[in-house]
Amino acid sequence: MKKLNLFITSILLLTSLKVLSQTQISGVVKSQKGEALIGANIFIENTYDGASSDIEGNFKFATTESGQQTLIVSMIGFHPYQKQINCNGTTITINITLKEKIDQLNAVTISAGAMEASDMKKAVVMKPLDIVTTSGALGDIVGAFNKLPGTATVGNDGRLFVRGGDASETNIYFDGLQVGNAYGSTAQNVPTRSRFNPNLFKGSFFSTGGYSAEYGQALSSALVLNTIDMPLRNQTDISVMSIGGGITQTLVGERNAFTASANFMDLAPYMSIINQNMEFTNAPSNWNVEALGRQKIGKSGLLKAFVHTESASLAINRDDINETEKIHTTVDNTYHFGNVSFKNTINESWSYYGGASLSYNTDEISLENIALKKVNKLAHVKGVLVHDVSDRFSYKNGFETYQKHYSEEVINNEAVRAYNELTANHFVEADYYFSKKLVLRAGLRSSYNDLINKFWATPRASLAYQVNENGQFSLAYGQFKQLPKEELRVQQNNLENATASHYILNYLYSKKGRTFRGELFNKNYNQLVQYSNTDGFDYEGLRNSGEGYARGFDLFYRDNRSLKETDFWITYSFVDSKRNFKDFSSQVTPNYAPKHNASVVMKRFFQPLHSQLGFSYSWNSGYPFHNPNKAGEMQSMTKDYNNLSFSWSYLPKPNLIIHFECSNVLGSQNIFGYEYANQPNTSGIMNGRPISQVADRFIFLGVFLTLSKDKNANQLNNL
Amino acid sequence: MKKLILSIALVFAVVIVKANDSSAYIKAMKAKIEQFNKSQSLEELQASANAFERIAQKEATEWLPLYYAAFGYVKMGFNETLSLDEKDIYLNKAIVLVENAEEISPNNSELTALKGYALMGKLTADAASRGQTLSPQVMQTFGKAIQQNPENPRALYLMAQMEYGMAQFFGSGTEKACAMTQQSISLFEKNPSEGIMPSWGLGGAKAMLSRCQ
Repeated sequence: MKKLNLFITSILLLTSLKVLSQTQISGVVKSQKGEALIGANIFIENTYDGASSDIEGNFKFATTESGQQTLIVSMIGFHPYQKQINCNGTTITINITLKEKIDQLNAVTISAGAMEASDMKKAVVMKPLDIVTTSGALGDIVGAFNKLPGTATVGNDGRLFVRGGDASETNIYFDGLQVGNAYGSTAQNVPTRSRFNPNLFKGSFFSTGGYSAEYGQALSSALVLNTIDMPLRNQTDISVMSIGGGITQTLVGERNAFTASANFMDLAPYMSIINQNMEFTNAPSNWNVEALGRQKIGKSGLLKAFVHTESASLAINRDDINETEKIHTTVDNTYHFGNVSFKNTINESWSYYGGASLSYNTDEISLENIALKKVNKLAHVKGVLVHDVSDRFSYKNGFETYQKHYSEEVINNEAVRAYNELTANHFVEADYYFSKKLVLRAGLRSSYNDLINKFWATPRASLAYQVNENGQFSLAYGQFKQLPKEELRVQQNNLENATASHYILNYLYSKKGRTFRGELFNKNYNQLVQYSNTDGFDYEGLRNSGEGYARGFDLFYRDNRSLKETDFWITYSFVDSKRNFKDFSSQVTPNYAPKHNASVVMKRFFQPLHSQLGFSYSWNSGYPFHNPNKAGEMQSMTKDYNNLSFSWSYLPKPNLIIHFECSNVLGSQNIFGYEYANQPNTSGIMNGRPISQVADRFIFLGVFLTLSKDKNANQLNNL
Repeated sequence: MKKLILSIALVFAVVIVKANDSSAYIKAMKAKIEQFNKSQSLEELQASANAFERIAQKEATEWLPLYYAAFGYVKMGFNETLSLDEKDIYLNKAIVLVENAEEISPNNSELTALKGYALMGKLTADAASRGQTLSPQVMQTFGKAIQQNPENPRALYLMAQMEYGMAQFFGSGTEKACAMTQQSISLFEKNPSEGIMPSWGLGGAKAMLSRCQ
């Protein structure tokens, strides 16, 4: 009995001891700004003991642990907090201040000059799908970008013209590596297209100025296209179009994927039905084969390899104001592009990416009885190391080389002109977040070119400040250099870089499906190439003596909320641009820089019709041209440009799409300039002839079928 | 004899301590799950998610605490009062927690289904912009969950939700979605969850089925 008593007593004692050894912990959790933090998790490491902070940031809990313990406080968006505490039964009161963590989701991003096509961004300027669903773009990547602020439609060229700059001032990058001859080769005044299939890409980054030190040799703009990392399923895509057809097969494994595609296009049947304003003796035709392989490496690495090869030809009988007979022109092009890229992380703070690309373009052009052969080769090798020092500070270091070969040859008389060059570049760029609302980016790009034997460095800087939840300002400044066009440099190897300096002020506002973007810019050009005389092949008096400017503003508004199931955007760009270039003796507005540019794009899905209907309207105030019958230079202006396009995608079944599209529905007679005779006629006037559209309209009809186990998969991406 | 009693007592003591340990885990989970099932507001859900995360950091070999913490964040990510960024923050956190749990328990149909649910939250948060890229991804994730365990009623129910939405979007029939819902309800009833295993979804599936009729 005594024993039992003792037992009970000891149990009671033990229990009471346990009660005694409980430690009460309480306090308050606040941010650095002193705001109470609700929902922070406060606990003792390796125990269940803890609590969440309430609406005033207060918390309170008890623990039976004793001795030295680690108290941890964690909360989304803040750095975790740790403190050693001594649990000895006495109440602990502790005030905790959590430091804000900066991450991609909550931090301001630099938006000056930049338009990113991404699904996950709040501010939607462009979505990856827009590349393919914008009516009037006709599945051309560049067609969709041409409806964004800062660009000018140049209908007889088809390339990207950014803010008063020539098309060659924009560089195109494929998974970070430059693409040489990114557009198909074409004859004069026959618009071209970009070479790659839009459904290769998951997103893109389009900069109309002030871009990163990672990109060089472009005076105006950079367009960075990124391929889809891992496709989701095995599938076969078949397309049958009024202008050709294609087949794409995708195979997906656990850690790798492979896509192969073969496509051909021949406009001959189409052109035999639809009347063309130009006389094609061989309608444009093209075939291409491409393959893209991806392999995951380790936990987060990815290796991609891409090859593309194509061949294209066309022939026209072209009117020339100086000749009574039409000029027979043929263009035959073969093109190969290969690209290997990789990205990987070493640990939490170090990562790297890079790769190599090779572009090899051959054009054989004949003008009546003169045959020309032009060969461009470009090899780009790049490696970048990124160090995230903390959530506030990161920097990258990159090294890249460009090896370039260009030759042109008049086949009949065996005259060859050629050059080779190597440009080596280093860039360093750092991002520093003063807070999640203010970020500064500064970079420096240094380059050396062995052909001109010169070294140069260009600084870049940008800043973004978030004013409130929905609005932000960005500023960007940069120096940019670019060596002149191959045709000029091959004649005079020592031509130096032309330069441009950009100053950009941007305001971006976005709120639930509505995005507004306004941008003010000033771009100053120096050392532009001028010459005294040319016959179109030989240039005399080549020198880096031209200068100029482009200044203006862009407005953009996109909304997918106000109108039911309708997504639309409106842009307006004003560009005041003049430059002293080519053989002009004064500063003139270039032909490709219309002053006022506007576009409206609208898409709507009609469920009862199982259809997406879209239209786009592009307008500009006209193209400047030079009339030799008048005093001055580039003193005349064409009438304004109008293009209303319409598209209809019908989805009778989820895996089948029938797509119809018509550009310039109204058949506006657009004129891109005039060409004049070299010699005056009998009444002393130089005869002129308008440069007009290849055809009044372009009509497209296509059927896209997707075969896969998932019956819902479709090729909406292809339209 | 004394020694024998002592050793028996010791063995018992050890067994009791051990049993106590895992029953402490079960007990804590049960209490928190009960509390979680009653949670409605963001604050309540956050408190529940925090509680599960506390259990998770102690029980490094258990996937369920991470599962429930992630589920709490998924529910928060569907809250209509939040901005797009806030929803994304919660849903991303849920995905990270699911991925941590997957390291403990790979090829787990429940975890895959929950990850798909979190992705579905991201899709729902901005369907106009994200539909095209995310809906195939969500479907694929639910498909994987069904493949991992064809008897997982939640994977089927979630997939049925997606199928229903797709059918509505394309204006095609909802028969397939409704058949899947029916099938998930049969599975819910056939394999009732035990203990602290995930058990949610039957109510939602029934509500969806009523829309089918």
